[in-house]
Amino acid sequence: MSFVWRKRWFLLLFPLLLAATTWQIRVETDLNAFFTATDSEDAKLLSGLLQSGELSRRYLLVVEKKEGLRSGGEAGRSPNVVDTAGHSGMDRRNDGQKPVSTAVPGGEGPALSPTPPQRTISIDEFSAKLVRQLAGLAGVERVWPANEPPREWIEAIRSYAPYHARLFSLNPQQDGFRLFDPAGLDSRADSLKQAMLSPQGGFVKAIAKQDPLLLSLNGFKDLQGQFERQAKLNVGGGALILQSHPAALDSDAHSRLQAAIRENFDTLNRDARGAFRLSMAGVPVFSVAAHAEIGRDVTLVSVVSSVAVALVFLLLFHSFSALHWVMMVQAASFVVGTLATALAFGHVHNLTLALGASLIGICTDYPIHVMVHCAKHRHSPLDAARLLWPSLATGGLTTVIGYAALGMTGFPGFEQIAVFALASIAASLGLTRWVLPALLAHASLHTAHLPGIAAWVDFCGRHRKGLLGLFAVSVILAGLSLPQLRWMDDMQKLAVDMDLLKRQDEAVRAHFSSIEPGRFVLVQAADLQTALRRSEAAERRLKSLQQAGVLSEYHGLFPWLASQDLQAENARIYAQALTPQFQEAWRVALTKAGLSVDKLGLLLAPAPEPLDPKSVLATPVRHILSGQMMDGQNGVALSLWLGEHNPDKLIEGLTGLEGTRYFSQKDQLDHLAGQYRDRSLVMLAIGIAVMGLFIWLQQRDIRKVLLTLLPSVASVLFIFATWALMGEEVSFLHVIGLLLSVSLCVDYGIFFMNNRGQDSDITYHAIAASTLTTLASFGALGLGKTPTLPILAVSVSLGVTLGFLLCPLLIQSGRNKGTNG
Amino acid sequence: MKRVLCLLLALLPMVGLADEAGLADLLVRIRQSGFAEFRYEETRKLELASSPWQAQGYMLSGADGRLIKLQLQPKRIIMAIAGDRMYYWDPEQKQRHAAPLGQAGQATGQITVFRSILQGHAEELQPTYDFAPEKHGKRWVLRMTPKRQSDEYAPSIEISGDEDERKRQVLIRQTDGESTEYRLIKTSEGPELEYSIQRLLLEATGD
Repeated sequence: MSFVWRKRWFLLLFPLLLAATTWQIRVETDLNAFFTATDSEDAKLLSGLLQSGELSRRYLLVVEKKEGLRSGGEAGRSPNVVDTAGHSGMDRRNDGQKPVSTAVPGGEGPALSPTPPQRTISIDEFSAKLVRQLAGLAGVERVWPANEPPREWIEAIRSYAPYHARLFSLNPQQDGFRLFDPAGLDSRADSLKQAMLSPQGGFVKAIAKQDPLLLSLNGFKDLQGQFERQAKLNVGGGALILQSHPAALDSDAHSRLQAAIRENFDTLNRDARGAFRLSMAGVPVFSVAAHAEIGRDVTLVSVVSSVAVALVFLLLFHSFSALHWVMMVQAASFVVGTLATALAFGHVHNLTLALGASLIGICTDYPIHVMVHCAKHRHSPLDAARLLWPSLATGGLTTVIGYAALGMTGFPGFEQIAVFALASIAASLGLTRWVLPALLAHASLHTAHLPGIAAWVDFCGRHRKGLLGLFAVSVILAGLSLPQLRWMDDMQKLAVDMDLLKRQDEAVRAHFSSIEPGRFVLVQAADLQTALRRSEAAERRLKSLQQAGVLSEYHGLFPWLASQDLQAENARIYAQALTPQFQEAWRVALTKAGLSVDKLGLLLAPAPEPLDPKSVLATPVRHILSGQMMDGQNGVALSLWLGEHNPDKLIEGLTGLEGTRYFSQKDQLDHLAGQYRDRSLVMLAIGIAVMGLFIWLQQRDIRKVLLTLLPSVASVLFIFATWALMGEEVSFLHVIGLLLSVSLCVDYGIFFMNNRGQDSDITYHAIAASTLTTLASFGALGLGKTPTLPILAVSVSLGVTLGFLLCPLLIQSGRNKGTNG
Repeated sequence: MKRVLCLLLALLPMVGLADEAGLADLLVRIRQSGFAEFRYEETRKLELASSPWQAQGYMLSGADGRLIKLQLQPKRIIMAIAGDRMYYWDPEQKQRHAAPLGQAGQATGQITVFRSILQGHAEELQPTYDFAPEKHGKRWVLRMTPKRQSDEYAPSIEISGDEDERKRQVLIRQTDGESTEYRLIKTSEGPELEYSIQRLLLEATGD
C-alpha cells in the first residue's frame, strides 16, 4: 500500500477507533476491584465486605454545638433555679405545699433578665429534624439516632412475643434459676406495671398479653444494653447512624450522598443561626476522599507524563511535525489498549488508565529508536524501521512478557494493565513499522547530540577491566546486604495518607459505642441450623470474654435467630418451671402490684412449633441481620460483630469451636500483601527466564542471552541492595516496579547487543532517548500522592537508569562502524 | 303542624350557628396562650391493671408549645414535649427516652393531644376530631371524637369545667378501653415560668 493510502487509512480509522472506545468504555473507580483478589473464599469475603458490607455502607454523623455558642436554654440557666441536688425550684414543692417561685428575685444571686431569653433549638431537636430530612434522600436506606433503635427493630421485637418460651435465653439452664425463681416474682410484677406506665406502655402491653413474664424481652436485653451504652456516650443526642444503599466503594454515589447530607444540614443550620456543626465518619467518607485523591493523581500523572515526553521529544528531534505524528501514533496505541481492556473486562479502572498513561513513554521508545537511526544515518524512516524491526519486535515481546508476568501476580487490576500493555505495545510496534514511515515521509529529522553519551561508552571501553572488577565487588557486596532486606507487612502503608480524616474519624467514633467494622468472629457451616448452633456456642464464649474484660461488647444473632436445638432447650426449661406453685406465686405477685390476674395470670405452654429462621428472614428482620449473614462458597457464613477487644485473648477464647474463627480485614489484607509479594518475586524470576528464552530463540547463543539480561538483572540486584541498606520497607509493588524495569532494560540490552545500525554510539543515543522518555513518563508517577505511584516511579526509574548505564559496560558490541570503528 | 315544621326548618341553621358560637366560646375559654402552671391529679385506668393508678404533680405550658409534665407522686418523673420531640426521664430508674412525636405510640399520642387541648390549639385536632360542645347551666363540656375510627392511637377526649376558669377536667379514652383523667387547676402564670421550663427540659433531655 502506498504511503498516501496508509496515512489516509490511519487518519480515517483513528477517529473511528476513538469513537468506538468512547462508546464502549465504562470507567471503574472502585479501588477494591483493582486491588483485592477474589481467588480464595476469604479474599472473596473480604472483597464483598469492603464493597457492600453493612458496616462499610454506614455513616456515623455527629451534630455538635459550635464552641463559644450557648443555647438560649444554657444562657437562661441560673444558680437560683437549681437546688443542690440538681433539681429545679419546682421540685422543692411537695404535696399540698405552696410552690416556691421558680425565678428567685434579685438579691439571692445574679440579677435575672426581666424578659425570658430567646429559646434556641436543642441538639436533640435539631438532630431529629436532620434525621427526617436525611431519611428522604436518595441513597439512604435508613437513618436513626444512635441511642434509639430504629422503629422497625421495635416492631420486629414485638413479633417474638408468641415464642417467648423458646427464646428467653442463650443459656436457659443457667438463666432459668433466676427467671423462674418464685421469690423474684413480686419485683417482676412491679417492673411490669412501671413499664406499662412508661412511654413504652403500648409496646409492653402488646407483649405482656402474650408473654406476661416478658421473657421474650430477656433475650433482647443485650440489645437494650447496647443502646443504653450508646445513650451514655451520646447524652446530647447528636450522634446519628445513616445506613446507605450504595456499595461502600461506589465513590460517585457516595460523593453525591455526602454533598446532599451537607446541603441538608446547612439548610437546617441556617435556620438555627449556624449554631451547630456536623462531622462525618465511616468507610464511604474515606472512599470518597481516596477517590478524589486518586482522581487528582490520574490527571496530574497523565498531564505531566504527556508534557514531559513531548518536551523530551522536542529536545531530541526539534520537530513539531514529528512530535505531532508520533503523539498521534501513541494516542492510537493508548486508544487500542483502552478498547482491548474494555472488551476483555467490560470496564477499565481509572488506575489502569493512569498507569497506562506511563506506557506512552515505553511505546514512544519504538518510534524514537527508528527516528534516531533515521536522523543519524540519514536513512529514510521506512529503511530505518525495516532495519530495526527484529530488535524492536524482540524488545516489544520482552516488555509484553514483563507485563504478562505482572498480570499473573494476583492483583486483579494488574491483569487489566497486562491486557492494556499487550494491546498498546502491539499497536505501537505495528504502527511504528508500517504507518510511521508514511507519516514521517516529509518530516525533516535532526537528532540532538546528548552530551556525555559517547564519553560514557568510551570510558567503559577504556576502563572495562577495572570497572568490571568494581562491578564484581559491588555484586558480592549487594548479595551480602540482601538478608537485611525488610518486607512491608502492613498493607495500610500503601493506602492514601489521610491523617486529617483519620483524626476526624476518631473524634466522631468517640461518640459511638465501638463496634469495629473490620474485625469480627466468622462462623461457617454447611447449613443454617449448624451455623446457628455454632454461632450460639461462640456467643456464649463471647459473653464470658466480655465478663472477663477481653471484649467491650458484641452483636450476635440471638435471639433474632435461634437454632431449633436452643429453642427446644428453652421450651424444656420453661415447661419444667411452669409448676402450679409457680403459676400461683405469679398470680399473687400480680395482685400485689395491682395488675389484672385475669389477663396476665395465665402462663401459656410453649408455642408448639419453633420459630423458623427462614420465616424470620422473610420479615424486616432480614434488614437488621443483613450485615451479619454472608453468602459463603460452601454454605452459610455468619458474622458476630465485635467492640473493642484484645485479639490474642479473643482468639484464645474461641479455641476449640468448630467452624468459628476470628476474622480481621486488616490481617487478611496484610496476608494478601504477603501473598502478592511472594507471587511477584516468583513472577520476576519467571519473567526474566521467559525473556531469556525468547532472546535465545532469536540469538541462539547462551552467552549473548546472559549478556543481554545482565544489565537489567544487575540493576535489580543493586536496587534491592540499596533498599536493604537504606532500611526501605519493600512491598510487592516495589517488586512489580522492578519487574517492569527489567522488561524495559532487556530492550536496551537487545538493542545494544544487536546494534543493527552497526554504530554503538548511535544505538546508545537511541537507547538514551528511550531512557529519557521512560524516565519522563514513569517519573511523573512520582508526583502522585497515592503511595502506589511513587513506589512504581522510583522502582522503574532506578531500574532503567542503572540498566542504561550498565549496558556499555557489560555488553561489548562486536560490530561498530561509528565512533568505535 | 306544618307551620311549626317550617319554623323548625327555618331555625335549624341558627342551631348550627349557635353550636359554632358555643364551640368558639369554649375554645377561647380553654385556650392557654402564655406561660402557665397547673397542678394536676391523674387517674389512669389500665386494661391490664386491677385498680386505677393515681399520680399528681405539675404541668407547665410554654408560650411556644412546650409542655412539661412533672410527676411528683408516686415518684418523680419528667415527661416533656419540645418542638416535635417527646422526652421522658425517670431519675429513680435512670431511664431516659426521646422519640419523635409521630413515632412513639400511644403514650406520646396522648400527651400530644393533651398539649393541643391545654394550649388551645384546636386547629391541630380539627383534622382528626369532630367537636361537640355542650353546656348545662354553669357546667360546660367539649366532646371530641376521632373522625377515623381506624386511627390506632386517636383517643376520644372530653374536656369539662365550670365558671371557675382556673379549673378543668380532661378525660382521655383510648381505643383499647384504657382511660386517663386529669383534674387541673391553674396555679400560676407569667414569663418567670420560662426558667423552670428550661431547667426541667434540660433535665429531661439530658443536655
